[in-house]
Amino acid sequence: MNMMATRVAPERSTGKSPVFSITMPTPTTTETPEQRTARFEREALPFLDQMYAAAMRMTRNPSDAEDLVQDTFAKAYSSFHQFTPGTNLKAWLYRILTNTFINGYRKRQRQPTQSPTEEIEDWQLTAAESHTPGGLKSAEAVALEHLPDSDIKSALQSIPEDFRLAVYLADVEGFAYKEIAEIMGTPVGTVMSRLHRGRRQLRDLLGDYARDRGLIPADDESTDASAPDDSTDATASVSSTGGDAEKEES
Amino acid sequence: MSCGEHHDVDCGEILQRVYVFIDNELEDASSDEIRQHLEECAPCLDEYDLERCVKKLVHRSCGSDHAPDALRQKILLRLTQIQVETTITTTD
Repeated sequence: MNMMATRVAPERSTGKSPVFSITMPTPTTTETPEQRTARFEREALPFLDQMYAAAMRMTRNPSDAEDLVQDTFAKAYSSFHQFTPGTNLKAWLYRILTNTFINGYRKRQRQPTQSPTEEIEDWQLTAAESHTPGGLKSAEAVALEHLPDSDIKSALQSIPEDFRLAVYLADVEGFAYKEIAEIMGTPVGTVMSRLHRGRRQLRDLLGDYARDRGLIPADDESTDASAPDDSTDATASVSSTGGDAEKEES
Repeated sequence: MSCGEHHDVDCGEILQRVYVFIDNELEDASSDEIRQHLEECAPCLDEYDLERCVKKLVHRSCGSDHAPDALRQKILLRLTQIQVETTITTTD
């Protein structure tokens, strides 16, 4: 119920050392512009594919993603002399990418505001924290593995932006909570809450996709609740009509 | 909320924390509690599997785009432009 009560490993969440740091003059300021460009191309440019994939998930279209990545690398290059060598370059680039997206592209895309989704009360989340008695969940996990990549991308792209970013940074890039907090500029508790909610929504969406594709019986929840044998006929008729109706709607 | 069996820690509480466990962000004592619970509670183990599966799927499917070659060229060109501009302003 209380997310903050969760005991998070102290060395990863409360440590004082920053993930990356920006200092003023460093020894690297003595390098020539050509040397700096070469160093940038050598160290930062290898992250191009990763930045592009993240930008695709953020903007949801190739043209905006390309612009976003270009702007990110231009900004990173312009302030590369402030980056402390030896600290986390990938996290630093992600921070620039995230800021550039939030400050520019989000406005450009004119999406309907998504913040109310974050207002979900904790009790609503807690209400979801129960398991079904049968072994259906393990069958669901097997079914989800058969979903095509395009479904997973589409599901991730349809959850609210803040949730999507947190899930992306944690699950695709494997950043620690503390690193995600620095990249997104939020407290670790907020990161955790976004991850929890984002994954919950993602899981529900993927379950829907799997049902639409017939990988999971459309009515597994209801059959599970009414286990006795004598209800089989009723359940079967509900599943054939109800399942078809659902498919036609979608 | 509970599976009807007795556990040291309630299922609901475990499921609240299992995502942090999967992310490897729990401290040892808390992880041990979850590990022990999952050993004795099959429904929670299923939830854990499902949660881990979603994480794995996102990892597998969402980060593998390749940047177009043209984008790399555009970026290199832009870096050169910035470098030239900076050189001009600093020598002025």
